[in-house]
Amino acid sequence: MRLAYYPGCTLASKAKAFDQTARWVAQKLDIELVELPEWQCCGGLVPQVTDAVMGLLAPIRILADAQTISDKLMTLCSFCYNTLKRANLVIQQDAERRQKVVDFLRETRAPKVFDENFQYDGSVSVVHLLEVLRDDIGFDNVRQKVVRPLTGVRVAPYYGCLLLRPPKEIGLDDPEEPTVMEQLLEALGCEVVDFPRKVECCGSFMIVNRPEIAAQCSATILKSASQIGAQLLVTTCPLCQFNLDWQQMRMLESNGEITPVPVLYFTQLMALAMGAEPFVLGFEHHLVDPRPAVMELGL
Amino acid sequence: MKQATEREQLTRTDELPIVLTEEARKFTEEVIRRSGERVDWCYQCGKCTAGCPVAFAMDIEPSRIMRLVQLGQGERVLKSKAIWLCVGCQTCTTRCPQEIDPAKVMDTLREMALEKEFAADKEVVTFFRSFLDNIQRYGRVFEPTLVLQYNLRSGHLLQDADKGPLMLFKGKLPLRPSRNGAIVRKIFDALGGRRQ
Repeated sequence: MRLAYYPGCTLASKAKAFDQTARWVAQKLDIELVELPEWQCCGGLVPQVTDAVMGLLAPIRILADAQTISDKLMTLCSFCYNTLKRANLVIQQDAERRQKVVDFLRETRAPKVFDENFQYDGSVSVVHLLEVLRDDIGFDNVRQKVVRPLTGVRVAPYYGCLLLRPPKEIGLDDPEEPTVMEQLLEALGCEVVDFPRKVECCGSFMIVNRPEIAAQCSATILKSASQIGAQLLVTTCPLCQFNLDWQQMRMLESNGEITPVPVLYFTQLMALAMGAEPFVLGFEHHLVDPRPAVMELGL
Repeated sequence: MKQATEREQLTRTDELPIVLTEEARKFTEEVIRRSGERVDWCYQCGKCTAGCPVAFAMDIEPSRIMRLVQLGQGERVLKSKAIWLCVGCQTCTTRCPQEIDPAKVMDTLREMALEKEFAADKEVVTFFRSFLDNIQRYGRVFEPTLVLQYNLRSGHLLQDADKGPLMLFKGKLPLRPSRNGAIVRKIFDALGGRRQ
């Protein structure tokens, strides 16, 4: 199975561990990931504004590049996934806006990027690795690759916002009661914790402009995970991972409100269960080090 | 049905017509037209406010923003801090029983506030400008200069100064930016004259 792969900015910097474990896992499951050449930022939340052209430029370039590799573009960061999938829907459904963007790009004639024949009609489908695992690979096949079952490890799945919402446009899973990560965690042998805060927002980019508000959002989630006795949290979003990791480190330093609940990417846990060497896992990049917990669990 | 007491009849207001001024009506219509969302369908159930992760920090809660839009209270809405605190997590949008998309309405209100130069929250505007400049320069987000630029422009000189060294030590920050800026600069240059 061959997929075009768009890592996104954070996977090349602070979420390197996410990128490297995803590539490792994909190889184990015979998924060929072809990274887009010279990719740029997808625009983050900016394409969501109602501006007619500007916001669609970055996503359409990524999607058009992907179409030369595969009819499916896979990505991992919740922000990128949300942005690309929704921009693609606009391109598919809004012929007027699509034509405006295409005409504009033809006019720019940036060498090697857009020429007078540039065309993109929305035919690539944007998928998340979780979707690929569920719909194409199957969790039974994942289970068969597990060499180090995570039996008895209490894991809380944390979805955050953009992986699931808005449900009409994203449609990955039920927006309030998603199960895709639960199914994956069960395949890895974990004991899945029923986590009431699993679709709550972590405070997102407010960590930059209103850190005190983001801190409160993250603290609510962390206290809940700690109270229900989760040993690990798993996420799909580099920003959620950073917010929960950062806030947790500060809470652990300053008061006894919570017990440590290291925050991992789901691919790190998969790689761990599927027998990856420690250097692949990237645990050393975490602020709240998962290694003591993992060792204590006998893994 | 129970008969209303004299007191209840005298004090009830729910049957009174609400008369909007021309200006108020225009504001409501503009928000509905630009967002494509039927804000007038909101019946104040409060689900958006209940689920909003940042409602606790807002000066006007999301459901009250919807009500003020219905009543054409443009200035109060556009000058509110609330519209700049919305992070677009889409919880309200997912839960609205009237299938209104309040997150999109918030987006529209931010655009309108910027046009009227009402930005009540300097920080978030500064952050988005710094974010776009950063992508324009490097093609991908390069966090060290993004944070530096944001701090210089916002005046919070030492904010996140504690994060930098730790992030470097943890191998989370790249030392050099990506070299893909050329393509993105071309797009931005072409946009320069015709930004919509």
